[in-house]
Amino acid sequence: MERNDDLTLDRLIHEPGRLAIMTVLSSLRDADFVFLQRTTGLTKGNLSSHLTKLEAAGLVEIVKRFVRKKPNTNVALTAVGRQRITHHWEQLERLRNLSESGDEHAAVPV
Amino acid sequence: MQRANLERAAAHYSYLRGWFSVAGGLLFILAALANWEAGPFQHAWVFPLGVVGIGAACLPIARFYNEHYGRISVSTRQYVRGAITVAIGVAVMLGLSSLLRSQADWSLDLPVNAIAISFALIMLLSYAVGVGLRAHHVLIWATLLVVGAVPVWDGADPSNIGLVLAGVALMVSGVFDHRLFVRTFGPSRRLNLEDSGVGA
Repeated sequence: MERNDDLTLDRLIHEPGRLAIMTVLSSLRDADFVFLQRTTGLTKGNLSSHLTKLEAAGLVEIVKRFVRKKPNTNVALTAVGRQRITHHWEQLERLRNLSESGDEHAAVPV
Repeated sequence: MQRANLERAAAHYSYLRGWFSVAGGLLFILAALANWEAGPFQHAWVFPLGVVGIGAACLPIARFYNEHYGRISVSTRQYVRGAITVAIGVAVMLGLSSLLRSQADWSLDLPVNAIAISFALIMLLSYAVGVGLRAHHVLIWATLLVVGAVPVWDGADPSNIGLVLAGVALMVSGVFDHRLFVRTFGPSRRLNLEDSGVGA
Protein backbone atom coordinates (compact mmCIF):
# COMPACT_ATOMS: atom_id res chain seq x y z
CA MET A 1 0.00 0.00 0.00
CA GLU A 2 1.33 3.41 -0.87
CA ARG A 3 2.20 5.55 2.15
CA ASN A 4 1.75 9.28 2.03
CA ASP A 5 4.49 10.61 4.26
CA ASP A 6 3.39 14.16 3.50
CA LEU A 7 0.45 13.49 5.82
CA THR A 8 2.48 12.53 8.87
CA LEU A 9 0.96 14.02 11.98
CA ASP A 10 3.07 15.52 14.74
CA ARG A 11 2.50 13.17 17.66
CA LEU A 12 3.69 15.64 20.26
CA ILE A 13 1.28 18.34 19.15
CA HIS A 14 -1.58 16.06 18.19
CA GLU A 15 -2.48 15.25 21.79
CA PRO A 16 -5.71 17.25 22.33
CA GLY A 17 -4.51 19.19 25.36
CA ARG A 18 -1.26 20.22 23.72
CA LEU A 19 -3.00 20.97 20.45
CA ALA A 20 -5.37 23.30 22.30
CA ILE A 21 -2.49 25.05 24.09
CA MET A 22 -0.51 25.55 20.91
CA THR A 23 -3.57 26.71 18.98
CA VAL A 24 -4.44 29.33 21.59
CA LEU A 25 -0.84 30.57 21.69
CA SER A 26 -0.64 30.73 17.91
CA SER A 27 -2.95 33.77 17.88
CA LEU A 28 -1.01 35.63 20.58
CA ARG A 29 2.43 36.88 21.39
CA ASP A 30 2.20 35.29 24.83
CA ALA A 31 -0.27 34.36 27.55
CA ASP A 32 -0.07 33.42 31.19
CA PHE A 33 -0.96 30.15 32.89
CA VAL A 34 -4.36 31.39 34.07
CA PHE A 35 -5.45 32.39 30.57
CA LEU A 36 -4.34 29.07 29.15
CA GLN A 37 -6.20 27.25 31.87
CA ARG A 38 -9.36 29.24 31.19
CA THR A 39 -9.27 28.79 27.43
CA THR A 40 -8.24 25.13 27.28
CA GLY A 41 -10.26 23.94 30.26
CA LEU A 42 -7.36 21.80 31.42
CA THR A 43 -6.72 21.21 35.09
CA LYS A 44 -3.72 22.89 36.65
CA GLY A 45 -1.79 19.60 36.80
CA ASN A 46 -2.59 18.65 33.21
CA LEU A 47 -1.66 22.06 31.90
CA SER A 48 1.60 22.03 33.82
CA SER A 49 2.46 18.60 32.49
CA HIS A 50 1.74 19.54 28.88
CA LEU A 51 3.68 22.79 29.13
CA THR A 52 6.67 20.93 30.54
CA LYS A 53 6.65 18.56 27.57
CA LEU A 54 6.27 21.38 25.09
CA GLU A 55 9.08 23.33 26.69
CA ALA A 56 11.35 20.28 26.66
CA ALA A 57 10.68 19.93 22.93
CA GLY A 58 11.54 23.58 22.33
CA LEU A 59 8.04 24.50 21.17
CA VAL A 60 7.23 26.98 23.93
CA GLU A 61 9.21 29.34 26.07
CA ILE A 62 8.19 29.69 29.70
CA VAL A 63 9.07 32.65 31.86
CA LYS A 64 8.30 32.71 35.55
CA ARG A 65 8.01 36.17 37.00
CA PHE A 66 6.28 38.12 39.72
CA VAL A 67 3.35 40.39 38.96
CA ARG A 68 2.07 42.46 41.85
CA LYS A 69 4.10 40.25 44.18
CA LYS A 70 2.34 37.12 42.92
CA PRO A 71 4.04 34.41 40.85
CA ASN A 72 3.02 34.45 37.21
CA THR A 73 3.94 31.90 34.55
CA ASN A 74 4.08 33.37 31.07
CA VAL A 75 4.12 31.17 27.97
CA ALA A 76 4.94 31.95 24.36
CA LEU A 77 5.44 29.85 21.27
CA THR A 78 8.96 29.66 19.95
CA ALA A 79 9.56 30.19 16.24
CA VAL A 80 9.79 26.42 15.84
CA GLY A 81 6.57 26.01 17.81
CA ARG A 82 4.73 28.44 15.53
CA GLN A 83 6.01 26.64 12.49
CA ARG A 84 4.99 23.23 13.79
CA ILE A 85 1.49 24.17 14.89
CA THR A 86 0.83 25.88 11.55
CA HIS A 87 2.11 22.81 9.73
CA HIS A 88 0.07 20.51 11.93
CA TRP A 89 -3.21 22.28 11.18
CA GLU A 90 -2.32 22.25 7.47
CA GLN A 91 -1.82 18.50 7.73
CA LEU A 92 -5.17 18.07 9.42
CA GLU A 93 -6.82 20.14 6.69
CA ARG A 94 -5.17 17.97 4.03
CA LEU A 95 -6.44 14.87 5.76
CA ARG A 96 -9.94 16.26 5.89
CA ASN A 97 -9.83 17.17 2.21
CA LEU A 98 -8.57 13.70 1.38
CA SER A 99 -11.33 12.00 3.30
CA GLU A 100 -13.93 14.21 1.66
CA SER A 101 -12.55 13.45 -1.78
CA GLY A 102 -12.64 9.71 -0.92
CA ASP A 103 -9.02 8.98 -1.69
CA GLU A 104 -8.70 5.24 -0.97
CA HIS A 105 -5.02 5.02 -1.71
CA ALA A 106 -3.62 7.32 0.92
CA ALA A 107 -2.40 5.58 4.03
CA VAL A 108 -1.82 7.99 6.83
CA PRO A 109 1.09 7.35 9.14
CA VAL A 110 0.74 8.84 12.62
CA MET B 1 -12.16 20.79 19.65
CA GLN B 2 -13.19 23.96 17.91
CA ARG B 3 -10.09 25.41 16.30
CA ALA B 4 -11.78 28.70 15.52
CA ASN B 5 -12.87 29.16 19.14
CA LEU B 6 -9.35 28.55 20.42
CA GLU B 7 -7.83 30.92 17.88
CA ARG B 8 -10.42 33.58 18.72
CA ALA B 9 -9.89 33.33 22.47
CA ALA B 10 -7.54 36.31 22.42
CA ALA B 11 -10.01 38.43 20.46
CA HIS B 12 -12.80 37.50 22.84
CA TYR B 13 -10.59 38.41 25.77
CA SER B 14 -9.71 41.80 24.26
CA TYR B 15 -13.14 42.82 23.04
CA LEU B 16 -15.52 41.43 25.64
CA ARG B 17 -14.09 42.76 28.93
CA GLY B 18 -17.28 44.71 29.26
CA TRP B 19 -16.63 46.52 32.52
CA PHE B 20 -14.15 48.70 30.63
CA SER B 21 -16.96 49.66 28.24
CA VAL B 22 -19.12 50.61 31.20
CA ALA B 23 -16.37 52.97 32.38
CA GLY B 24 -16.02 54.33 28.85
CA GLY B 25 -19.74 54.98 28.61
CA LEU B 26 -19.63 56.88 31.86
CA LEU B 27 -16.87 59.03 30.42
CA PHE B 28 -19.06 59.92 27.43
CA ILE B 29 -21.88 60.97 29.75
CA LEU B 30 -19.50 63.03 31.88
CA ALA B 31 -18.25 64.78 28.74
CA ALA B 32 -21.82 65.71 27.80
CA LEU B 33 -22.53 67.01 31.30
CA ALA B 34 -19.32 69.05 31.19
CA ASN B 35 -20.30 70.53 27.81
CA TRP B 36 -23.68 71.50 29.26
CA GLU B 37 -21.97 72.84 32.39
CA ALA B 38 -24.71 71.05 34.29
CA GLY B 39 -24.75 71.25 38.07
CA PRO B 40 -21.24 70.82 39.52
CA PHE B 41 -19.80 70.66 35.98
CA GLN B 42 -20.02 74.43 35.77
CA HIS B 43 -16.76 74.32 37.68
CA ALA B 44 -13.84 73.69 35.34
CA TRP B 45 -12.09 71.22 37.66
CA VAL B 46 -15.00 68.79 37.99
CA PHE B 47 -14.68 67.12 34.59
CA PRO B 48 -10.90 66.43 34.86
CA LEU B 49 -11.57 65.06 38.33
CA GLY B 50 -14.25 62.82 36.89
CA VAL B 51 -11.87 61.59 34.20
CA VAL B 52 -9.25 60.79 36.82
CA GLY B 53 -11.89 59.00 38.88
CA ILE B 54 -12.99 56.86 35.95
CA GLY B 55 -9.37 56.15 35.11
CA ALA B 56 -8.78 55.06 38.68
CA ALA B 57 -11.84 52.81 38.51
CA CYS B 58 -10.27 51.04 35.54
CA LEU B 59 -7.43 49.81 37.72
CA PRO B 60 -9.51 47.40 39.82
CA ILE B 61 -11.35 46.39 36.65
CA ALA B 62 -8.03 45.50 35.02
CA ARG B 63 -6.93 43.68 38.15
CA PHE B 64 -10.19 41.69 38.23
CA TYR B 65 -9.79 40.48 34.64
CA ASN B 66 -6.03 39.86 35.01
CA GLU B 67 -6.28 37.87 38.22
CA HIS B 68 -9.36 35.81 37.37
CA TYR B 69 -8.89 35.35 33.64
CA GLY B 70 -5.21 35.84 33.03
CA ARG B 71 -3.01 38.14 31.01
CA ILE B 72 -2.20 38.12 27.34
CA SER B 73 -0.01 40.04 24.94
CA VAL B 74 -1.49 40.38 21.50
CA SER B 75 0.56 39.67 18.42
CA THR B 76 2.07 42.51 16.45
CA ARG B 77 -0.43 41.80 13.68
CA GLN B 78 -3.37 42.17 16.07
CA TYR B 79 -1.85 45.31 17.56
CA VAL B 80 -1.47 46.91 14.13
CA ARG B 81 -4.98 45.78 13.19
CA GLY B 82 -6.33 47.36 16.37
CA ALA B 83 -4.44 50.60 15.79
CA ILE B 84 -5.72 50.83 12.23
CA THR B 85 -9.28 50.17 13.40
CA VAL B 86 -9.00 52.95 16.00
CA ALA B 87 -7.51 55.36 13.46
CA ILE B 88 -10.25 54.58 10.93
CA GLY B 89 -12.83 54.89 13.67
CA VAL B 90 -11.66 58.33 14.72
CA ALA B 91 -11.46 59.49 11.10
CA VAL B 92 -14.95 58.17 10.37
CA MET B 93 -16.38 59.74 13.48
CA LEU B 94 -14.89 63.15 12.77
CA GLY B 95 -15.52 63.06 9.04
CA LEU B 96 -19.03 61.69 9.17
CA SER B 97 -20.06 63.99 12.00
CA SER B 98 -18.77 66.98 10.07
CA LEU B 99 -20.43 65.83 6.86
CA LEU B 100 -23.81 65.12 8.39
CA ARG B 101 -24.07 68.15 10.58
CA SER B 102 -21.54 70.83 11.36
CA GLN B 103 -20.64 74.46 10.77
CA ALA B 104 -18.50 73.46 7.79
CA ASP B 105 -19.53 74.84 4.40
CA TRP B 106 -19.59 71.34 2.93
CA SER B 107 -21.81 69.93 5.68
CA LEU B 108 -25.11 68.45 4.58
CA ASP B 109 -26.62 69.96 7.73
CA LEU B 110 -29.15 67.17 8.10
CA PRO B 111 -31.56 67.05 11.05
CA VAL B 112 -29.84 63.94 12.43
CA ASN B 113 -27.66 63.15 15.42
CA ALA B 114 -24.25 62.78 13.79
CA ILE B 115 -22.46 61.64 16.97
CA ALA B 116 -24.96 58.84 17.54
CA ILE B 117 -24.82 57.71 13.91
CA SER B 118 -21.05 57.75 13.54
CA PHE B 119 -20.37 56.11 16.91
CA ALA B 120 -22.91 53.38 16.23
CA LEU B 121 -21.30 52.64 12.86
CA ILE B 122 -17.82 52.54 14.39
CA MET B 123 -18.92 50.12 17.11
CA LEU B 124 -20.73 47.85 14.65
CA LEU B 125 -17.62 47.77 12.44
CA SER B 126 -15.30 47.24 15.38
CA TYR B 127 -17.23 44.28 16.77
CA ALA B 128 -17.81 42.82 13.32
CA VAL B 129 -14.07 42.86 12.57
CA GLY B 130 -12.91 41.92 16.06
CA VAL B 131 -15.16 39.17 17.38
CA GLY B 132 -18.13 39.01 15.06
CA LEU B 133 -21.43 40.67 15.77
CA ARG B 134 -23.62 39.12 18.46
CA ALA B 135 -27.34 39.70 18.83
CA HIS B 136 -26.91 42.29 21.58
CA HIS B 137 -24.36 44.23 19.51
CA VAL B 138 -26.76 44.44 16.57
CA LEU B 139 -29.70 45.37 18.81
CA ILE B 140 -27.92 48.06 20.83
CA TRP B 141 -25.87 49.69 18.10
CA ALA B 142 -28.50 49.46 15.38
CA THR B 143 -30.94 51.08 17.81
CA LEU B 144 -28.50 53.93 18.39
CA LEU B 145 -27.98 54.22 14.64
CA VAL B 146 -31.73 54.41 13.99
CA VAL B 147 -32.33 56.87 16.82
CA GLY B 148 -29.58 59.08 15.45
CA ALA B 149 -30.79 58.82 11.87
CA VAL B 150 -34.43 59.71 12.57
CA PRO B 151 -34.77 63.26 11.14
CA VAL B 152 -36.03 64.90 14.31
CA TRP B 153 -32.77 66.45 15.47
CA ASP B 154 -33.24 69.88 13.95
CA GLY B 155 -32.79 73.00 15.99
CA ALA B 156 -29.93 73.24 18.46
CA ASP B 157 -26.79 71.08 18.09
CA PRO B 158 -27.72 67.62 19.43
CA SER B 159 -24.10 66.48 19.90
CA ASN B 160 -24.30 66.36 23.68
CA ILE B 161 -27.45 64.26 23.57
CA GLY B 162 -25.58 62.05 21.12
CA LEU B 163 -22.78 61.68 23.65
CA VAL B 164 -25.27 60.67 26.35
CA LEU B 165 -26.96 58.17 24.04
CA ALA B 166 -23.61 56.75 22.95
CA GLY B 167 -22.52 56.55 26.59
CA VAL B 168 -25.66 54.70 27.64
CA ALA B 169 -25.34 52.32 24.69
CA LEU B 170 -21.72 51.66 25.58
CA MET B 171 -22.61 50.92 29.20
CA VAL B 172 -25.43 48.55 28.24
CA SER B 173 -23.26 46.87 25.63
CA GLY B 174 -20.52 46.52 28.24
CA VAL B 175 -22.82 44.67 30.61
CA PHE B 176 -23.85 42.22 27.92
CA ASP B 177 -20.27 41.87 26.72
CA HIS B 178 -19.16 40.95 30.21
CA ARG B 179 -21.94 38.34 30.45
CA LEU B 180 -20.73 36.87 27.15
CA PHE B 181 -17.16 37.01 28.45
CA VAL B 182 -18.17 34.98 31.51
CA ARG B 183 -20.07 32.48 29.34
CA THR B 184 -16.96 32.13 27.18
CA PHE B 185 -14.31 31.86 29.88
CA GLY B 186 -16.29 30.71 32.89
CA PRO B 187 -17.35 32.40 36.14
CA SER B 188 -14.81 34.40 38.07
CA ARG B 189 -14.31 31.90 40.86
CA ARG B 190 -10.62 31.56 41.49
CA LEU B 191 -9.04 28.66 39.66
CA ASN B 192 -6.49 26.54 41.44
CA LEU B 193 -3.84 28.94 40.34
CA GLU B 194 -0.15 29.53 40.29
CA ASP B 195 2.84 27.87 41.75
CA SER B 196 2.37 25.48 38.89
CA GLY B 197 5.92 24.22 39.04
CA VAL B 198 6.22 24.66 35.30
CA GLY B 199 9.56 25.94 34.16
CA ALA B 200 11.01 25.57 37.65
